[in-house]
Amino acid sequence: MKNSLKILLVVILAILAAGCIGGNKTPQSVSEPINLVKMSGQDMVQRLGTGEIAGFIMWEPYPAIAMTNGYGKPLLYSGQIWKGHPCCVVAYDYNWYKNTTNADEILKRMALVQLKSVEYINNAKETRSPDHEDLIKYTMEFGGMTDPKAANLSLSDVEFVYAPNIADAQTFITRIQDFGIFDSEKWNQSGYKNASDYANALINKSYSDWASQNKNANLTSVALKTPVTIRYAYLVNDIHELPFYVGWKKGWFKDAGINITLSDGTPFQNGAFEMQKGFKSGVVDIGSLGIPPVIIHRINSNDFTIDDTRVEVVAGMNNEGSVIVVGKNITSMKDLSGKTVGYPGPGTIQHVLFLMEADKEGLKVRY
Amino acid sequence: MGRLILKDISKKFNDFLALENVNFEVEDGEFVCLLGPSGCGKTTILRLAAGLDSPTDGEIFLDGKKIAGTNKECGFVFQEYALFPWRTAKGNIEFGPQVKGCSKEECERISRHYIDLVGLRGFEDHFPHELSGGMKQRVGIARAYANKPKLLLMDEPFGALDAQTRNIMQAELLRIWEKEHISVLFVTHSVDEAVYLADRVVVMSARPGTVKEIFGINLPRPRIRTSPEANALRDAILRSLGSEIKRAASI
Amino acid sequence: MKVDSGKKGLVINLLSLIGLVVLWHLLVILARENIFNIPFIRLRDVPTPVETWYALIGSLFTKTYGPALTVGILEHTQASLLRVIEGGIIAFIIGVPLGIGIGYSKPIGNVLNPIIEIVRNMPPMAWIPLAVFILVAGGSIFIVFIGTVFPIILNTIHGVKSTDLRLIDAAKTLGASGSQMITKVIIPSAFPSIIAGLRIGLGVGWMAIVAAEMVIRSPIGLGYFIWNMGELGRYPEMVAGMIVIGVIGYIMNISILLLQKRFVKWVD
Repeated sequence: MKNSLKILLVVILAILAAGCIGGNKTPQSVSEPINLVKMSGQDMVQRLGTGEIAGFIMWEPYPAIAMTNGYGKPLLYSGQIWKGHPCCVVAYDYNWYKNTTNADEILKRMALVQLKSVEYINNAKETRSPDHEDLIKYTMEFGGMTDPKAANLSLSDVEFVYAPNIADAQTFITRIQDFGIFDSEKWNQSGYKNASDYANALINKSYSDWASQNKNANLTSVALKTPVTIRYAYLVNDIHELPFYVGWKKGWFKDAGINITLSDGTPFQNGAFEMQKGFKSGVVDIGSLGIPPVIIHRINSNDFTIDDTRVEVVAGMNNEGSVIVVGKNITSMKDLSGKTVGYPGPGTIQHVLFLMEADKEGLKVRY
Repeated sequence: MGRLILKDISKKFNDFLALENVNFEVEDGEFVCLLGPSGCGKTTILRLAAGLDSPTDGEIFLDGKKIAGTNKECGFVFQEYALFPWRTAKGNIEFGPQVKGCSKEECERISRHYIDLVGLRGFEDHFPHELSGGMKQRVGIARAYANKPKLLLMDEPFGALDAQTRNIMQAELLRIWEKEHISVLFVTHSVDEAVYLADRVVVMSARPGTVKEIFGINLPRPRIRTSPEANALRDAILRSLGSEIKRAASI
Repeated sequence: MKVDSGKKGLVINLLSLIGLVVLWHLLVILARENIFNIPFIRLRDVPTPVETWYALIGSLFTKTYGPALTVGILEHTQASLLRVIEGGIIAFIIGVPLGIGIGYSKPIGNVLNPIIEIVRNMPPMAWIPLAVFILVAGGSIFIVFIGTVFPIILNTIHGVKSTDLRLIDAAKTLGASGSQMITKVIIPSAFPSIIAGLRIGLGVGWMAIVAAEMVIRSPIGLGYFIWNMGELGRYPEMVAGMIVIGVIGYIMNISILLLQKRFVKWVD
């Protein structure tokens, strides 16, 4: 008995020693990967403030909030990572489309409201604009902000657009493939020949084309004869999706004959949730989200004979508008080696952008 | 060495008077059996002598020293053996020497001696659950002896054994006792056992327990269990005990 | 869980596992062919056993895709296990003395029992928010500790309290002092109970770590892995991770049982 106790003690000590060695092996060498850790935007701001994370990459308004609070400074705007990169889009559920007789007509009007909202915002961004004050109010409401300074700052690096961009979507598809986020097995089963083939299948430009042809039309004059109800989904506090909020609050959807109800689960925490708990669960007809989740979940879906993760893009929302914000002592991406960086989740646009930047700088990222 | 004196011992558990005015002695080197009806406090007397309990009234002396607190100069042998199940036979026997701080060699020497004495050679490294009842009690006895006690307190040590093993163990106990010559206070409720083993038999009365009668046995050892003298003694003790058992049953 | 030692028992054990896999496969296939589906479950999204197997093989090792390090299941397992072991050791070091103190001494028991009775009824999962929002580091290890320490304390108390009183008497008459009583009688006597507590505790700790890793910020660990894969819609990898979690838990349980057999030879 005495011996067995001794042996047990030795074993425990050995494990302890192993544990200590394990715990200490985080030397701050340059080759250490950057750790991407998923968290909510609020968490990112707070943890950057306390110094628990070295930085984060997130959609506006969180970067603006962190900066106006003095918690961090911008390291890179996403436009510096990829000039004019597409970000959020408006997409519809393919099952809804199949079961709705006038779906095309509805989508055309959705695209038109989108166009009008984007134009409104782009004009109202000017501080001299009579609508500026209203826009700041909308921005603060939708972005969950209390500081008008942060609202102004967050609008400054978002470029609102209404036309979807096939070529850029193709670039995203290629990069997502490079970064191993697709299940390669599934990609082979999906039947798409290449990134261009997939991008073309994913994005339907006809609605935004119709919208730009009718951009001067009065909404009520082109309104649907019988109003329809659309279950809409968006992401939590995402300033990128402000055009939807403006159109909704201004009553423009209603003018066009579209009643908006928010879907179960809205607002979603990130695009992955909107795809899986929203579109795939059949509770969302139309929604706005980042383009990478749209791209990824169609491919990673288990079954290509059904269309539950098939969504198609009607219109753009915005380009750029994400920021890598860092705390003290960080002046370059290399400084983030071995440190923890917050991000909204795997397969988000911020995830892909961060990997693109790391790729440029020859850094490794663990996520 | 090993003279136990119980003087005017009373023991109360709450309001229950278990022992009243118990007086008797165990002479140096003597083998005394305690007999009595169930619940007359035989075990209590052993526990008092071992210092595991203290008397409500009266005093107990071992070699003139008053017992207060655990009496480390006596060895206790329990009916259910009370061996440490995580120690081998040898480990059990070495327990006493070890807690006294004997060196490893000393412990070895002592345990080897007593293993031989109680006839456990070849079973040193067996754990208690691997031993038969008789073997376990040999370990129990050896463990008590290994502590070099002045007095051995045995609480129905063979009560759980079958009749044959019991007889063998009684003979073995006498053999060991004659070699080591340490006083023994032995609780039993077998008159047979008492007559076979004891120099004197103390018969106790039922609740409250007190000494009723003491029988001296001068028969030479080894005794013949069925000799006329033994039979006569047995009858006398049984008669003394019988009235007590009846009384105990009627209480 | 005890696997029947007989050959026949082993065959039945194996058949039962094979049966489960076959049933799983059938359910998924039937759902995908639109023949049968259990309501409220998207069974067609569940990967088949074969898909899961390939996902398991494909994600065992850490892979590099350009800048992206996709951490393999083995590395995730190692990280989770290390946390469980670290939390378990801390729980053992703190829990055993506490349990001995409470079991052996009435005053200590009176002071600590009410605290333990309240705190042990907060499940480890209930501590996760605290670990997330208040602890700066070591949150996962803390959750394991919470899950592990109470079974250890309670089993130690039980072990100490069920020490045979005759053994204590025997040790007293053999001259054992107070501290010798603890080291030479109470602890050995309570040892099987303590190990049983460790076994139960590590089981709870293992469940807790998986839950904690889904929430607590660290890009490594099995809980993190299955959640991440789920979020990416890579369900075969997610299910493969779940199975690994089950198998590791089982192996942990069995190895402690074997250790116990090896070290506690005296229990029949």
